[in-house]
Amino acid sequence: MVTAARRRPAWVRALDSNLTYQIGTFVLFALGWQVYGTVWGGLLVPTFTETVEAFVELVGTREFWDAMFVSNQALVIGFALAVGIGVPVGVVLGRFRTLERYLNVYLNILLVTPMAAIIPLLVMSVGFGLLSRVILVTIFAIVMVIVNVRAGVRQVDPALIQMARSFGASEREIWMRILIPGALPSIMTGIRLGLGRAVTGMVIVELLMVSLALGNLILEYRGMFNGPALYATIAAILIEALVLISLARLLERKVAPWAPNNQKGANQR
Amino acid sequence: MNANTETRAPARTGWVSAAGKVNASLLSLVVAALAWEVIGRLADVPFFPPLSDVLGVLGDLITDGDIFGNLLTSLGNLALGFALSLVAGLVVGTAMGRYRRVNAALGIYVYALLTAPSLVFAPIFFSILGAGQASIVAVVFMYSAFIMIINTASAVENVSDSLIEMGRSYGAGEWQLVTRVILPAAAPMIFAGIRLGMGRAVTGMINGEMFIAVVGLGRMVTQAGKRFDGAEVLAILLVIIAVALAAIALVQFVDRKVTGWVPATSKESG
Amino acid sequence: MIEISGLGKTFIGQDGAAVRALDDVNLTVQENEFLTVLGPSGCGKTTMLKMIAGLLPWDQGEIAIGGAPVRGPGPDRSMVFQNFALLPWATVLDNVAFGLRMRGVGKKEREERSRELISLVGLSGFESKRPGELSGGMQQRVGLARALAVEPSVLLMDEPFGAVDEQTRRLLQEELLAIWEKNRLTVVFITHSMEEAVLLGDRVVLMSARPGQISEIVPVPLERPRSSDVGGVERSSDYVNITAYLWERLREMHEERSVVAGSGPSV
Repeated sequence: MVTAARRRPAWVRALDSNLTYQIGTFVLFALGWQVYGTVWGGLLVPTFTETVEAFVELVGTREFWDAMFVSNQALVIGFALAVGIGVPVGVVLGRFRTLERYLNVYLNILLVTPMAAIIPLLVMSVGFGLLSRVILVTIFAIVMVIVNVRAGVRQVDPALIQMARSFGASEREIWMRILIPGALPSIMTGIRLGLGRAVTGMVIVELLMVSLALGNLILEYRGMFNGPALYATIAAILIEALVLISLARLLERKVAPWAPNNQKGANQR
Repeated sequence: MNANTETRAPARTGWVSAAGKVNASLLSLVVAALAWEVIGRLADVPFFPPLSDVLGVLGDLITDGDIFGNLLTSLGNLALGFALSLVAGLVVGTAMGRYRRVNAALGIYVYALLTAPSLVFAPIFFSILGAGQASIVAVVFMYSAFIMIINTASAVENVSDSLIEMGRSYGAGEWQLVTRVILPAAAPMIFAGIRLGMGRAVTGMINGEMFIAVVGLGRMVTQAGKRFDGAEVLAILLVIIAVALAAIALVQFVDRKVTGWVPATSKESG
Repeated sequence: MIEISGLGKTFIGQDGAAVRALDDVNLTVQENEFLTVLGPSGCGKTTMLKMIAGLLPWDQGEIAIGGAPVRGPGPDRSMVFQNFALLPWATVLDNVAFGLRMRGVGKKEREERSRELISLVGLSGFESKRPGELSGGMQQRVGLARALAVEPSVLLMDEPFGAVDEQTRRLLQEELLAIWEKNRLTVVFITHSMEEAVLLGDRVVLMSARPGQISEIVPVPLERPRSSDVGGVERSSDYVNITAYLWERLREMHEERSVVAGSGPSV
């Protein structure tokens, strides 16, 4: 809010600010939901206020946090694997073109293939346990990591490499001082996008195959026709996803503040 | 030509290296197919059948005609969901890119929905629309719309001011400005978003069909999985990949028709 | 002294056709001479410079500096790049210190030396800024300071002021002259501006394209120091005559090329 000392046009302008519109959208959405839920809502469609109540109740239960713990286990391990494997692979593919020429076709196929379709195979091979969830999360996330890291290494300005060589830099120094810092913004982007995909993988495997943890809560509440709790669980998953991704975004800005995408006012992409 | 390019010495011509790329991909596909066959035979496990078994099952599915009904249904879901997303992407995206207030009102929500795991909305659609095709179409929409909105918005935002001023100076109104200047200028980047949107739409179709398992390829995968029929899962996966690649090729074909004026070198930067 | 004899290089272009980038280039640059190289795009002037820097291989001929043949980049030479080639993630201080770091100079000495050069190019107070926060002219000052920090005997400049606006360009020219007059070293300076070539150089090497060859070497008998009165230099009859002469020669080259245009794609 603008201080009261300002004259009228100032608060008119303040009312015209981005935040006003953001809040306005949310209020409209909540109102619309409320009306829809009240008038047409059947057994499974709660109102906005019912959902909020159920959410507050849900985060007070032991059951919810147990489910969070189990789901996030797969997320953490799978995502760590994806970064641990994906970054080196991406760097190698970015630097060595010949290898990349042979593997490119698979990356392209992996990028467009709906990974969920391999869940049945995973379950057949390693069962319903933690391992199959970890593998799926890794597969979901790793492609994003590899593709972004590869692009990052590739797009490092060749003039910088030439400059370093003109000052007598060795291959190792070129890696340490030019290629890695140059690729860092893209590496961080890959990690952020990979995290988004990892959360997706976590949710998908639980919803589609291995009824467990958060995914199981959703299916259970649906079975019990407990609309508010169903919606509250979904909201909780969405909130977790958005918080994690915002944190990754924050980290990205912190680590590579010089990158054009990370500067103030840059589009969030 | 500037001084930088004059020092570059490509080892071969564009044509040869393009052909080399195709050959490398083909070669590596053939090698992987052979490896698949050999490892599948040696391993002899239900979840990794050799390629020949998978192709055999695929052949059966085709000769039986089992797959066609499901394929058509899936394609219907895909087409409908994608068409809705495309309209939303162009309309909302243009409005967001052109008007600050629209961008302020919708921006963060569109971005949030883009990064959120789209499949969690499936139970919501299920509860509102029931266990039918409408829910699957809605899932396809959730998967593909937001990437197209965001790309269109930033494409429209990035249209150079001088072009817009040029349009104004010749007396173009807002509608003419958008349809005659802004959208054509933004088209290459919009198409980049449409291509991504198409890929996500195929994913949404399969995931939606797997969750609301009443129709389509997604349901076939789920059922084959429940029967522990690895060969059929992989056979359908091949079909799905073919659908995805064909859908994206279609977008690229249209892209080339529409944005043929863009110089090849600047295209990838979009 | 830089001695170039019989230098030749052929590239294979995008279309598969062979392009003779340099053909039998013979050139001697004297100790502490400021040599400018002028020519149309595609004449191979940057290619030649990068060969002197040891960044590009050549097919025929020899380059020797102080009698020693060039086999790669060396501590006796440093280069100023056309598009600055600054590390976007590093501060001004770290950018200037980059060459020293590559040469294994210790941190303390490195920073001391870098600060001196930063002040020499007039950027004191900007040490901790990143290149993205600087104007084009300031960025190239960083590039110049980086090149001078390693105390080269040969300074290679590849159209260093081509990417900045006219006003900044003139200021940078004056500053470069002033720095060079105080601290003489051998400079090879590539440019596509006739005025710049004449204002800065002791001699102007005029190159022609396809094949890249030296077509003429024009001495510039203008008095030094020139930095204190650039306006006066530009009004002198020698300056006007040489510039006019260079323009005539460049126009002739252009006409010759127009006649053969169509025989090959423009590169």
